[in-house]
Amino acid sequence: MSAFKRTTVTGGMQRQSILAPLRETRIISSKPVLPAEIISSILDHLPIQELLRFARVSKRMREMVYDDTRWVPRLQLMGCWNEIEARQRAEAARRKISETLQNLHQEEARRVGIGVNGAPNGPHGTEQPGRSSVTIFDAAAEGQVQAQVIGDTPKIAVIELDDGFDAMALTHREKAVSYQAPDATSKLKIFSQVHSLRGFAKQEYGKVYGALAPFYLNAVSCENHTYAIIFRTYRDPDQQAQMLFNLTRFSQSDISQGWQQRQKKLDALVAAFESAVTREFEQALEDGDIAGKMRKYAHVLVSLNGGQNGVELFISKAPIISSRYRLGNPLDCLSHTGPGKFSADESYNFFNRLSTAFNEQVIIIDQVFPSSVNAIVPFVQRVGKVVVAEYLTALFDEAHRTSIESYLKAVAVTCAQCLEFAKSLQPTSSSGDEFYEAVDKVIGSAFEPHIDLYLKEELDFFKKESSSEVSDWEKQLSEQDASMESMFMSNVNRQADKRDFLTSFKKVVMMPVNVLPTFPMSSPFGSKPATAKALVNGDTLPLPEPPSQSSTRPSSPGLIDATTSSARRDLSPLPEPPTTELAAKAAIMNSRLEGIRSLFSIEIALNLVHMAKSSIERAAIFVKLGGPFAKDARFQCELIFIALLQTLGTRHIKGGFDQAVDHLSNYDPNKTTNAERYTVTPLITFLELVNVGDLIQQMIDVFYGQEMVAAKLTDRDDFLNPAAKEKKRFEQMLDERVAAGLNKGIEVLLGEVEHVCATAQKAEDYNPEASSVASSDVMDIGPSEAAKQIVEMVSSHTKMLVGSTDKNMLDVFNQEVGMRLFAALCKHLKRQRISVTGSIKLISDMNHYFNYIQTLKNPSLLQFFKALRELSQIYLVDPSDAKELATIIADGDRFYGIFRAEEVYQFAERRADWYQIKNKVERAMYGIGCMIM
Amino acid sequence: MTAPPRGTLTLESNDGRKIVVDRDVAERSVLIKHMMEDIGEQAEDQAIPIPNVNEAVLNKVLEWCAHHKADPQTTNDDDSDSRKKTTDIEEWDQKFMQVDQEMLFEIILASNYLDIKALLDVGCKTVANMIKGKSPEEIRKTFNIQNDFTPEEEDQIRRENEWAEE
Repeated sequence: MSAFKRTTVTGGMQRQSILAPLRETRIISSKPVLPAEIISSILDHLPIQELLRFARVSKRMREMVYDDTRWVPRLQLMGCWNEIEARQRAEAARRKISETLQNLHQEEARRVGIGVNGAPNGPHGTEQPGRSSVTIFDAAAEGQVQAQVIGDTPKIAVIELDDGFDAMALTHREKAVSYQAPDATSKLKIFSQVHSLRGFAKQEYGKVYGALAPFYLNAVSCENHTYAIIFRTYRDPDQQAQMLFNLTRFSQSDISQGWQQRQKKLDALVAAFESAVTREFEQALEDGDIAGKMRKYAHVLVSLNGGQNGVELFISKAPIISSRYRLGNPLDCLSHTGPGKFSADESYNFFNRLSTAFNEQVIIIDQVFPSSVNAIVPFVQRVGKVVVAEYLTALFDEAHRTSIESYLKAVAVTCAQCLEFAKSLQPTSSSGDEFYEAVDKVIGSAFEPHIDLYLKEELDFFKKESSSEVSDWEKQLSEQDASMESMFMSNVNRQADKRDFLTSFKKVVMMPVNVLPTFPMSSPFGSKPATAKALVNGDTLPLPEPPSQSSTRPSSPGLIDATTSSARRDLSPLPEPPTTELAAKAAIMNSRLEGIRSLFSIEIALNLVHMAKSSIERAAIFVKLGGPFAKDARFQCELIFIALLQTLGTRHIKGGFDQAVDHLSNYDPNKTTNAERYTVTPLITFLELVNVGDLIQQMIDVFYGQEMVAAKLTDRDDFLNPAAKEKKRFEQMLDERVAAGLNKGIEVLLGEVEHVCATAQKAEDYNPEASSVASSDVMDIGPSEAAKQIVEMVSSHTKMLVGSTDKNMLDVFNQEVGMRLFAALCKHLKRQRISVTGSIKLISDMNHYFNYIQTLKNPSLLQFFKALRELSQIYLVDPSDAKELATIIADGDRFYGIFRAEEVYQFAERRADWYQIKNKVERAMYGIGCMIM
Repeated sequence: MTAPPRGTLTLESNDGRKIVVDRDVAERSVLIKHMMEDIGEQAEDQAIPIPNVNEAVLNKVLEWCAHHKADPQTTNDDDSDSRKKTTDIEEWDQKFMQVDQEMLFEIILASNYLDIKALLDVGCKTVANMIKGKSPEEIRKTFNIQNDFTPEEEDQIRRENEWAEE
């Protein structure tokens, strides 16, 4: 007993006080005794067998040895301890206890006959019955809990019921488990029988140990692998593999001294076994014994260690990899069709063959490997890396070297084909989405090295092509005489035409570029510009253009371009129906727009849009790849769109507009000797330009909507998006040009009006008496020739704008034109001399103007012309009614406040008989004026 | 007494003997190391009493410390790793531990008190090796433990754990 005492005082400050008696005890017993914590750490180093023998030393030692903390880590090392499961079980047990507790309390309370709460500690009952009932309850509750736990775990229950347990064993939470060795087959599955049970970790570990330790200890001690018990107990290689796998797992829990050597031994054993099995597997693979030996040994390898080696071996031996060159030569795609061309057939065939070969292999994999092994993912990765990536790299490098255009096509087409290929692959029965994810990843990584270069090249290519298109046109334009030839604009129904044109355009844009479904691949856009041009060129269409014109005029640049380019890139002789429709419409439009040929061409715009479309569609394929590529590709599409807008807007349209505005400002009505005085040629050209500009803008808008927004390449609502910004800028630029041009246009138009006023208005129109030749009998009531001309001219020009600019712009324009016309007329009126008879003519002129203004539906403008009409009546007043005249002059309301009395007076001065009535009028005016004052 | 040279400490065993030792050797003991950190330089001038350990044991422990002074210090954080697998005892340590059982236990107790984890570990392993293959009765004698089992109880434990017997 004294020796035990010493263990309690190993450290601490009170040591000094106890030191003296301790020294004395030492004399009695010279043996030092280790404290429990040190014994515990000694136990950590003991092998299982020794550990359990140690438990027999004393009760305290048994407790120490049996403690869960010693066994749970071992179970954890083997990966068969589930903390959550353990907690759930423990909580269930605790709940049971508390329920039982409560029941017992109530029972007891009833028995004692007092309240529930006071029962256990209450002063009523004597100490003796209270205590005894507690002991009874303890045992009973514990017993129930145990029973419950047993109920929860039937497997344990079997063992425990065999043994039979008494109440005493239960209170100690220990059971006398006499160990029964499980049979050989159940040992294979020993790990599935282990439960995470608090308080029973030792028993659970015991199950595993009992099953595996004999094999383990034998395996690590035997000299020759072939004599190990494990191979003698189990004859079937699959069972051997399972057992070896179990042993490997079990060896993890071996933490006592010397485990390294044992581990090494076991590893060597497993490796020897594995290499033997692998040899068998390889042999079977070479023999082609798929369903028999291959399958058998694949399963063995899988049970042993997941079968990675088998999968690896299988993949490396797969014919698809070893004979990959038979699937297709990447250079065939380029060499067959001559330089600069890319043959989609060849690559399609390659992918077809690859897909077939792959699917064959998949069937074999399905047969050979058990469903638990994911053999297909490494397989597809390998195929992607070795076969697909190599093929693509060779193809792209070669294509890039020979021709950019074929390179771009090759990349886009093969990417689409790859995606198609991915869809055609069949997964094994076991792999689900994981397989497709892996395939996507593989394709992504196959294209990864090329994608940046491709996107860059695509943009460059588009920029280069589009700018060369425009500069070609410009060059050819400058070679010609840039004289402004125009044809008279037939009064076509513009809006209907435009709508028509846009509908066909939309149709074509909406049509997908069929990269894949139709082989040989030829995007409709590859052929369309060509056909469009061919049709423009050909005589097959019922063009409204007279043949003489096309022969006399130097052929326009678009036509020249068409001839050359249609020969150059007429890939597919069979254009699709909507394509021809659009082509025809484009041709008709073109012929109508001959007048502005030299400024800019809708055809060029159409070509550019087509080029952009094919570029964007090619790049858009990569969006499907997902991930960072999608972002890059999307960004690149936006860049292409921006490039399109810049080329089309800044270079093409802006130049045309500027030139047209220049022409407008240089226009001098007095210098033209054109017989047809109804039209101002540059203005017409310009207005036509506005029309086309609007058309192009709508085209771009449709394109943007269809290609960019609908294909989810860009976000319409994102106002910070560069593509959206560029589009805005393009529209703004167009609006600005139109506004500037219209401003100039109004000036020019009014200059023309004044010119007409000055030249066409004869003096005798309003003053027939003054003319020598005039005879009153030929007097007609209608408006004068000049007025007719003016109205005709103004209305024809303003009408051209209808439908080409938006309504607000049109209103402003009309308002301006009206006001300026009004001012011009007033000025004109003040230059005339008007007699009473001539006033009839004047009034009808004014009515004519008024009627015209009415058609503009602009109420404020109408006021002015109403006033003008009123004003013209002052000339009708007979000279004898001078007084009346004065009243009219002074009556401001009559002219809606537009003319002041002084102004009206000025107009009145233009009366032919003014000097005769002047005095009368003035007298009447000022007299009345005085009266008013 | 003369002041010890710089960089050394004087330790005093429970039987009053003073031992001068290099500071870095003494600081293999986490107890002394922390003590030095708390007291500071002045501690070098005074003898540090080690009241639990006699001279012979202290010398033995310091011998071990001197041999292992270049070892990397084990941090206290690796408590979780203490459940890790046991490594074998180094050859030098094996020789070092070839002492009688009483001395072995004294070393273990001293290293426990002085908080020299590695030495404690070696001691425990040595004890573990020592009791391998011993019967419960022999173990009781070794550790001076009284048997409080009835023969039936002991037999029951043996039956419970039959699975571990070969």
